[in-house]
Amino acid sequence: MHLKSAYEIREKYLRKDMLPTIFCPGCGIGSALQYTLRAIDDLGISPDEIVWVSGIGCSSRVPGFVNFDGLHTTHGRALAFATGIKLVNPDLKIIAFMGDGDTAAIGGNHFLHAIRRNLDVTVILINNFTYGMTGGQVAPTALKGLKGTTAPYGQFENPFDIAELAVAAGANYVARWSVFNYLQGINSIKKALQKEGFTLVEFLSPCPISFGRRNRMKTAPELLRWYQKITVPLAKAKKMPPEELEGKIVIGEFADRNRPGLAREYEEYKKRAKKMMGWEE
Amino acid sequence: MKYPFPVGRSDFIQGDEAIARAAILAGCRFYAGYPITPASEIFEAMALYMPLVDGVSIQMEDELASMAAIIGASWAGAKAMTATSGPGFSLMQENLGYAIMTETPVVVVDVQRGGPSTGQPTLGAQGDVMQSIWGTHGDHSLIVLTPATVQEAFDMTIRAFNLAEKYRTPVALLTDAEIAHMRERVYTPNPEDIELVYRKLPANKEEAQYPFGDIHGDMIPPMPIFGKGYRTYVTGLTHDEKGRPKTVDAEVHERLIRRIINKLEKNKEDIIAYETFDLDDAEIAIISYGTVARSAIRAVKLLREEGIKAGLLKLNTIWPFDFEMIEGIAEHVSKIYVPEMNLGQVYHLVKEGANGKAEVELIPKIGGEIHTPTDIIERVKRGV
Amino acid sequence: MMQIRLAGIGGQGVILAGVILGEAAAIEGLNVLQTQDYGSASRGGHSIADVIISKEPIYELMVTKADVLVALAQLGYDSTKEELKRDGILIVDTDLVKPDRDYIGAPFTHLAEENTGLALTVNMVALGYLVAKTGIVKKESVEEAIKRRVPKGTEDINVKAFRVGYEEGLK
Repeated sequence: MHLKSAYEIREKYLRKDMLPTIFCPGCGIGSALQYTLRAIDDLGISPDEIVWVSGIGCSSRVPGFVNFDGLHTTHGRALAFATGIKLVNPDLKIIAFMGDGDTAAIGGNHFLHAIRRNLDVTVILINNFTYGMTGGQVAPTALKGLKGTTAPYGQFENPFDIAELAVAAGANYVARWSVFNYLQGINSIKKALQKEGFTLVEFLSPCPISFGRRNRMKTAPELLRWYQKITVPLAKAKKMPPEELEGKIVIGEFADRNRPGLAREYEEYKKRAKKMMGWEE
Repeated sequence: MKYPFPVGRSDFIQGDEAIARAAILAGCRFYAGYPITPASEIFEAMALYMPLVDGVSIQMEDELASMAAIIGASWAGAKAMTATSGPGFSLMQENLGYAIMTETPVVVVDVQRGGPSTGQPTLGAQGDVMQSIWGTHGDHSLIVLTPATVQEAFDMTIRAFNLAEKYRTPVALLTDAEIAHMRERVYTPNPEDIELVYRKLPANKEEAQYPFGDIHGDMIPPMPIFGKGYRTYVTGLTHDEKGRPKTVDAEVHERLIRRIINKLEKNKEDIIAYETFDLDDAEIAIISYGTVARSAIRAVKLLREEGIKAGLLKLNTIWPFDFEMIEGIAEHVSKIYVPEMNLGQVYHLVKEGANGKAEVELIPKIGGEIHTPTDIIERVKRGV
Repeated sequence: MMQIRLAGIGGQGVILAGVILGEAAAIEGLNVLQTQDYGSASRGGHSIADVIISKEPIYELMVTKADVLVALAQLGYDSTKEELKRDGILIVDTDLVKPDRDYIGAPFTHLAEENTGLALTVNMVALGYLVAKTGIVKKESVEEAIKRRVPKGTEDINVKAFRVGYEEGLK
């Protein structure tokens, strides 16, 4: 795979007047953004055909930095806004940049129902186990024992596995990588962007400032090394007994199917309505 | 174009049905909702009609999502609406604020029922007045319309879309369980006789660079909808004329918020609508809106028959509010009565407007029964 | 202005009769308002339809003093007889309602069964009787309204029932 230089990607897709970004040193959001832009670039999709949507949180600021149409909405609701955009203009491709809290806590219900409907959207999920923007509170993905300002003695609740949720709810494509797995990441995003229906690419993404500092991993390399330790490729995980997978995070492609997307289903529904009412043959 | 209901004739329909038909005639092509009494019939009518007119009707997972979806639809270029009742309207306040901040034309119908909370699902009330005006946080403004008859519900729905599009703002249509379910004769005009307004779009790419800029001097920026190559960025954060977040700049915040409020305030004359009955020589004024205004009209006629010089101001909009007009009325009457199906909401606005020039008395009623003309007459007579 | 209340029990089609009467008035360009009130049960509870017809604008929201009360069931009659004016007209199904005041009427349910084979059309029979007795709207307007409002394929049987009631009312 030939990789263009990061400068070239930046020149082509970012809004210069919005730079620098708000992201802290060592943050992984920029990497996930770069992979997404590379995937768009590789596929040759025109930026005029894509709308970026987001909710609230660090990762939700991404639509502001990219030179596309973008809707930066309220906390957790990005996919509900996206439903309106997609059904009015099915020609538009929608990318939702979302955080773990945005997706699985305040936006959990919208997330599940968007998948149930098979809304045509590609979700790029930044999972850093924390609420970075508000200063390091625990996220619904935080593994047991991880610390945040709202669980200073270590998380006592169970985490959500968002990718698994998405598979169970019926998403067409689901993959999870850490930002360290850049080639897999780019390839997954490319796959996701070419599918109709709901697609999700989750990234374990370092947040040294709000998360790492409180969990004895003050730098991004330390967090990446930790990811190396706790992640298990899907093929290997399948052979492992459940007790060995305790506290681990499985990475890989979890779903790849082709159920019709919401926009197409609605087109069919309109035809059915007209037929049933005798408006059309 | 073919319509899934009769046009150019009178029909005998419910308030909720009238709102759905009017929305479609106003050009609404996206509806998102969540079932709730007594607004579900609006949704059911939309579900029946929308696919036939190539529009969208979709049932969302809750009212937060319904409001979000119509805003997304509006940025994709559609005229969009949702309808709900008090409990759902409370959930919509979050994204109603987003619509105000991002100047997104949408129409929200609130079919009022007794509250707070689940309250009296099937009975009419006017308890959401303050919620409709001040329900979302922060300084803001929007337009609130209040029909009293099924025909008015029809006419004001069309007006709601026109005002939303003209001023790039959310518009709330406040009806109640009574109007929702009563049937009255409604004239549905031929579509070509209905005057429709469409949002101002950017004339070129240069104009589109300022989605939130007062580039025409009318305080209403053209709306660069998605998918046209404008690369518009829309955010609920405080933003400058280009839409760039400027969250700690006091001047940018004040300029944005004042323009959002002023584009409605300075166009009050165009927006505010009311009717008067026997008000010119009145010594006693009744100020009323929505369903209760019907009883108030009857009360004024009966009071006049008894030689009491009563007059009525029927408000067809309750926000923006014409405080000056109320003061003008207060200067010429000895007393103003405000009958409302709540414990005092528009009453407070009227009192502020009267500015001490006349005594203002509330005639409250809650529990689901509407004021009878006698309720109003007796209170007025007690004061004479 | 004429205030008409139709009262029965759920399942008798009282509301539909009110809607059709209202539609007929609307067809004639009259002002008209129709509201309804159900008991707590959708079947077997009382069911009331109010119709107000006037040449002037209507400010009322429900029947306050009925000029006409049509009662198709004892429960409907009992729950609303106080709203009928002293000189108002009481119309009852004479098999099913035993009023404690002056009344007119006929065995509507029996007539419906006898003529259409369906007790369900009692609402149209009663409506026909009401229209013949009061002349509030024209027979033709009601027949047009029936065609607009009843389920497709049942227009004829409903019009037939209406005519039976209408003829009975002319007697």
